[in-house]
Amino acid sequence: MSNWKNLQSRSFLESSARDRALGLVDEGTFTELAGPFDRVTSPHLALLGDAVAFDDGIVTGVGRIGKTPVFVISQEGKFIGGSVGEIGGAKMVNTIKLAIDFHDDLVAKYPDLSDAEKPVVVISFETGGVRLHEANAGLLAHAEVMDQLQKARGKVPVIAVIGSKVGAFGGMGFVAAATDAIIMSEFGRLGLTGPEVIEQEMGKEEFDASDRALVYRTTGGRHKYIMGDANFLVEDTIEGFRAKLVDLAPLPVADFEAMRRIGSPEKVEHQLKLVALAAEMQPKDAVDVWAKAGNENAPGLLDVPFAEFVGSVKRLSV
Amino acid sequence: MEMQESMMGRGREAIDMIVDAGSFQENTVGAQSFDDPDFGPGAVVGTATLDGMTCTMIVSDADAFNEKFPVVYAGIIGMEEGYKMAQAVYASIEADAEKPLAEKRPLVLVVDTPGNGPGKVEEIFGMNKSTAAYQLALAEARLKGHAIIAMVIGRAISGAFLCHGLQADSILSLDANYGTMIHVMPLTSVSRIIKKPLEKLEEISKHSAVFAAGPRFFYSLGGVGALVDNVDGMRPAIIARIQEVQTAKAEGKQDTLGPWGRGALGAERGGRVERPKILALMDREFAAVAEQYAPAR
Repeated sequence: MSNWKNLQSRSFLESSARDRALGLVDEGTFTELAGPFDRVTSPHLALLGDAVAFDDGIVTGVGRIGKTPVFVISQEGKFIGGSVGEIGGAKMVNTIKLAIDFHDDLVAKYPDLSDAEKPVVVISFETGGVRLHEANAGLLAHAEVMDQLQKARGKVPVIAVIGSKVGAFGGMGFVAAATDAIIMSEFGRLGLTGPEVIEQEMGKEEFDASDRALVYRTTGGRHKYIMGDANFLVEDTIEGFRAKLVDLAPLPVADFEAMRRIGSPEKVEHQLKLVALAAEMQPKDAVDVWAKAGNENAPGLLDVPFAEFVGSVKRLSV
Repeated sequence: MEMQESMMGRGREAIDMIVDAGSFQENTVGAQSFDDPDFGPGAVVGTATLDGMTCTMIVSDADAFNEKFPVVYAGIIGMEEGYKMAQAVYASIEADAEKPLAEKRPLVLVVDTPGNGPGKVEEIFGMNKSTAAYQLALAEARLKGHAIIAMVIGRAISGAFLCHGLQADSILSLDANYGTMIHVMPLTSVSRIIKKPLEKLEEISKHSAVFAAGPRFFYSLGGVGALVDNVDGMRPAIIARIQEVQTAKAEGKQDTLGPWGRGALGAERGGRVERPKILALMDREFAAVAEQYAPAR
């Protein structure tokens, strides 16, 4: 197990799911639920003769940030790409459900409960979505997660943190989009269709999946920050993400509603303005949109040092 | 099992088979009208009566092509389509906001869609938000008391099924004799990607429903509530399901419906037996430490 203090300056990108879970909450406060000592492994992988993980590739548990109980879900990309099967999916679903139930219990028990004392959920995404080895069960679990996200509305804020190697794609790209607030590092990636699939659908001339700069321009943290799809862009350290969570954790849930990109008729109206812009522009590259947002140095934006980028970039408004 | 003529690509025909004759009014839901014919043509939305009840219909149009977003054809859900579907749901909620539970209009989703729009423009602007917006709207309508029934008539594939179907209270599917396709990926592709011989996967899928393709496997996982073996059976099955769902909601049995209810169904039918064990384990473990995370007073 890693030392909490040493974890703080560690690259988030390079960190394991468990180190992220431990390091994002206050020192020594994390209790893992359905952890590796419980040895909950996928029988479906075993049936196929594949290796299993004692946590099924996902770390779930509860910790604390200041006064706030923080329910954590952290996906491990090194285990079958962070994919979601029956067990990992159930762990995810129940972590959110436990947070909602705990919220309801606390509100009933403590009439003077402050916003800072109400639970939040943090999801550290690293996944392409459904695990094909148990695809149907994984798909059904995705729907359950979406259901819990809606049930959490107005009660428990759900915060996405995205800065790991695999990014957040496939069905989990929907789930990430449906959270209240999204924190990314510039190395995080968020989308629906992964680069290889776009290349397969559109041809290599249109989208070369091996072109890393193109991939980051299309789905990376800097781009998603310009588009408003990421609410916050932070440095690639555990403490970088943690510092933002420390700011957000005590806020009233109504403040999170304002951070949402989708989830109401008004927000859908707003997104449709962006879609109309997409139709009008037919951008060949994300850089076209950065220029449209008013960035004079659009082609060079990926190379601007991080602090300067965050300080000076113009974000798209419609 | 005798094969029947497939309903694939025939979403509009399915509307007529399901609703009261001549009652479907396209492009109007409550106070919202969808006047621009070029907006989200892959999604058909409107209002009909079903056994006299006003209901919202949401259907994919496999013949439509979206000129602005050419990845949308053959029933694919694109950015405009996802938001249009979400708008139809919100308009349904809004129209019945003041009505008691029993009078909230049902939503019927006719499911035949092969996927979500894949593409560069879609990723630049965030296709994931569009279908997530629709899913959240459906979940909100369901939790506010609208009965939502999905009727799978053709393709219910992966993320598109998540988006258009899996947030319903109850899911019906034409049986395999209609060539109904419900899966994440065909077994041949699964075999290639996870590098396992197809024969082995076929053998295992006889006993395990978790990755096999088809409505019967989804039935045993609880993902499909009931199978309908004839197109003439769709209308009565949907009407009956609406009544059952409305009764369950009136009795406060929301947890027997929707994605959570399908979890219990999956355990009952033996297709997903691990899920309840994990839930119970976590509940137990959290109960033992919950006090540590409650406020100090």
